[in-house]
Amino acid sequence: MKRSKKSNTKRRNGRKYSKLNLFQKPGIKFFRSCPLSGKAAPIVDYKNIKLLKKYTYESGGMLPSRVTSVSQKKQRELAKAVKRARLIALI
Amino acid sequence: MNCYEHTLITPGNTSENQNQKIFDKYRDIIVKNSGKVIKTEEWGLRNLAHKIKNNKKGFYFHIKLEGNGKTIEELERAENIDESLIRFLTVKVKKHDLKTNFFDKEEGYKNFGKK
Repeated sequence: MKRSKKSNTKRRNGRKYSKLNLFQKPGIKFFRSCPLSGKAAPIVDYKNIKLLKKYTYESGGMLPSRVTSVSQKKQRELAKAVKRARLIALI
Repeated sequence: MNCYEHTLITPGNTSENQNQKIFDKYRDIIVKNSGKVIKTEEWGLRNLAHKIKNNKKGFYFHIKLEGNGKTIEELERAENIDESLIRFLTVKVKKHDLKTNFFDKEEGYKNFGKK
């Protein structure tokens, strides 16, 4: 039990920095929470063109999730929505 | 009964009367094949993002319906033959979202970013 607790705290410390800090330790990863998850998140839908345009290039391709920090689940939903919107020429 | 969303696109140069006729025709097909139309939306004349069958503009209809697999089968069979349509899309959804309308000019702006 003790061991697992320790490892948890370590992880949290490593993910603490969500903003660029001048005195941060080297090797610490940035963590930005998914903008499409949570309570106030917008609806991912093929009709929501404004949202889809945010997560695609102008040429029509999808932006990678490592750029937008969208979670895996939502990225899959996005991909499906984009394909549907393309079919009826919305984007 | 399953929930479906259906979108139709007719060429931009078809007249209003003709558009209404096409729309009514498919609504009848749904009702005849044990389906139920819950809500209809008109997205109106829009610029297509890319050319489809040499059309630059299209008139969009959107139907939210309930039905079974046979309803959709009959509907799409009729649409595949029809030359007065550019394209159509059927999507199965778990539940109909009747509140948000993304293509209403005022409402659509409000709804963006809200659940």
